[in-house]
Amino acid sequence: MTARETIIETQNLSKHFGGLAAVDDVSIKIETGTLHAIIGPNGAGKTTFFNLLSGNLKPTTGKVFYKGQDITGKPIYRMIHMGIGRSFQITNIFPNLTVHENIRLASQAMEDKNFRFLMDTTKMQTVEERTAIVIEKVGLSRQADIPARVLPHGDQRKLELGIILAPDPELLLLDEPTAGMATDQVPELITLIQEVQQSDDKTVILVEHNMNVVMKVSDRITVMHQGKILAEGTPAEIAANHEVQTAYLGGLYDLNT
Amino acid sequence: MTTNSNFLTRNRGILIFFVVMLLAPFLIGLLEGSSPAVVLANEGGLSKFLEGLGIEIFILAIFALSFDLLFGITGLLSFGHAMFFAVAAYLTGIALKTLQLPFWQVTLLVLLAAIVQALLFSIVLPRVKGITFTLVSLGLASVFHIIVMSSDMINLTGADVGLQGVPTPAFINPASERFRFYVIALIFLVATYIFYRRFVASPTGRVCVAIRENEDRAKMLGYSTTTFKVVAMIISSITASIAGMLHALYQPIISPTVADLGFTVTALLIVLIGGVGTLSGAIVGAFGFRLLDFTLRRFLGESASFVTGSVYVIFVLFVPYGIIGTLRLEKLSTRAGWKELFSRIRGNA
Ligand SMILES: Nc1ncnc2c1ncn2[C@@H]1O[C@H](COP(=O)(O)OP(=O)(O)OP(=O)(O)O)[C@@H](O)[C@H]1O
Ligand SMILES: [Mg+2]
Repeated sequence: MTARETIIETQNLSKHFGGLAAVDDVSIKIETGTLHAIIGPNGAGKTTFFNLLSGNLKPTTGKVFYKGQDITGKPIYRMIHMGIGRSFQITNIFPNLTVHENIRLASQAMEDKNFRFLMDTTKMQTVEERTAIVIEKVGLSRQADIPARVLPHGDQRKLELGIILAPDPELLLLDEPTAGMATDQVPELITLIQEVQQSDDKTVILVEHNMNVVMKVSDRITVMHQGKILAEGTPAEIAANHEVQTAYLGGLYDLNT
Repeated sequence: MTTNSNFLTRNRGILIFFVVMLLAPFLIGLLEGSSPAVVLANEGGLSKFLEGLGIEIFILAIFALSFDLLFGITGLLSFGHAMFFAVAAYLTGIALKTLQLPFWQVTLLVLLAAIVQALLFSIVLPRVKGITFTLVSLGLASVFHIIVMSSDMINLTGADVGLQGVPTPAFINPASERFRFYVIALIFLVATYIFYRRFVASPTGRVCVAIRENEDRAKMLGYSTTTFKVVAMIISSITASIAGMLHALYQPIISPTVADLGFTVTALLIVLIGGVGTLSGAIVGAFGFRLLDFTLRRFLGESASFVTGSVYVIFVLFVPYGIIGTLRLEKLSTRAGWKELFSRIRGNA
C-alpha cells in the first residue's frame, strides 16, 4: 500500500482520572480514507481516547493534530466544522424531538444562517434536502415524524449514526455504533458504515467489540490495553500477534477456527 | 398576495384574540349602557375598569412570555427574571420623575439597560448550568432587590413604600387615555407573541429548543450554545423590560414587590398553568392567574392568596402540561408531565 496522508495524529496523549491513567502515552497516526478499528477489553480507555480526539475531554498531557493542525483544547462545537463527527457508545440524541428534527438540526449546523431569527427553518432548502437524504440512508423514513424516544433501541442507534452523517464530516469517530443492537440488525449498520467510508473516501475510526466484524471491515486495527497501545497492524497481523492473543483475543477470537 | 394570507392563516388564533380584545370594551360598554363614543372618550364605568384589568393581564402576559422563552423554549430556569421587569419599571419611573428625560430617551435607556442586564447574566451563562444557573440568577436579582429597598435609595426608589408620582406622558395617561393605553398594551402583547412564534420556528429558535433538550449534544452538532443562550436572554430581557416599562406607566405606584422572587414565581406559575414552552400558554395563564386572583380577592378578601396558592398547587399537580399543553396532547397524562417538568427544572447540567 502506498503511503497516504495522515488525517489525525496524537502525540504522547494521556488522560489521568485521579491516579488512574485511562489513556497512557498514546501516539497514533490514522491514514486518510481508511477504516481503522480500535479494540480492547472493557475499560481499556477507548472511549476516553475518543473523548480526547473529539474535544469532550482535555488531555492531561500530549497533543492532537488534525490534518497537521494542533486541535488540542479546541471547543467541542468547532470540531464538526473542521470535519470531525462523533457518535456515542451510550445513545446521545434529542429524545423529545422527532427523528426528522434530530437530523435536521445536525444538518442546519453547517449553514451560516443560524442567527437569522426571523427566517422560517422549513425554507432552508439545502438543509431539508440533506435531511431527507440522510433519513433515507439510515433507513428511518417511515419513522421520520415520531419522537426519537419512542424508537426501538436499534433505530436509535441508526439515528445516532444519521446525526453524524448529516453534516458530512471527513472523519467519523464511531464508539460502538452497534452497542445493544439486535444481532440481526448489526450487519445492516456495518454495511452502511462501510458504504459511507468507501464511497466518499472518508476516514472512520471504529470502536467495536464484535471481532468478526472488526476483522472483516478494518483496514488497520489498534489494540488498546490499560490505556496503552498494545499492538497495531492489519487484521491478519493482529490476529497472528501472540501478545494480543494472550492479552485479549485468546478466548474471544481465533483466526484458525 | 400569498405572503399576506400566509401571515393571516399562520397567526389566526392570536389575530382573533386581538380583534376580540379590541371589541371587548365596546361590548361591555353596550352592556352597561355606554355608547362606543362614551367608551372611546374613557367615560364608561365598568368598561374603563375592565380595560384596566385587561392592561394588567396584558402586561403580565408579556412578562410571562419572556419567561417562557427562557424556561420553556431554551431550558433556562432563571429565578432572577423579575429583575428585567423591575429595572425597566424603576428606570422608567426615575427617568421620568427625577431626571425628567423626554420619553424617547427613557425608552432608549430602558432598552439599553435590558441589553446590559442580559449580558450580565451572560457572563455566568457558560459557567453554570441547570439549578446552579437558577441560584446565581436569584443572587443577581436579590442584589437589585436589596438596592431598591435600601433606605439610602429612598429619594430615588421610594424604598419599601414604592416609587410614587411618576409623571406619565399625557398621550398615554392611564386615567385620561385608558382606552389608548389598553390598545397599546394589547398591540405589544400580540406583536411579542407573533414575533416569538416566528423566533421559535427560526433556525436560531430551533437551536434554543435543542439546547433545552440536550445541550451537550447541541454543542457537538457544532453550535456554540452559549451564543444562542445569550441571544435568547437578550430577546427575553428586552421583552420583560417592555412589560416593566408599561407597568411603570400604568401603575400609580411602582412597588418593590416587582423586584422580588415572588414576581418571578408569578411568571413561573402563569407559564405552568398555561403550559410550559407553548407560548400561547403564557397568555392563557396570565388571564387565568389574574382573573382567579381578582375574583377570589373580591369574595374572600386578603385570605384569598392562601386559596389561590392552593388552587395553583393542585392545578399544577394534576395538570402538569398546563392548559394549552394538555389541549395539544388531547389527554391528561399526569405522570409523564411530572417527569418532563422535573427534568426541565433540573436542567440538563
Ligand atoms: N470520567 C471519568 N472519571 C473517572 N474515571 C473514568 C472516567 N471515564 C472513564 N474512566 C475510567 O477510565 C478507564 C477507561 O474507561 P473507558 O470508558 O475509556 O474504557 P473503554 O475502553 O471505552 O471501555 P468499554 O469497552 O467498557 O466501553 C476505566 O477504568 C474507567 O473506569
Ligand atoms: Mg467505551
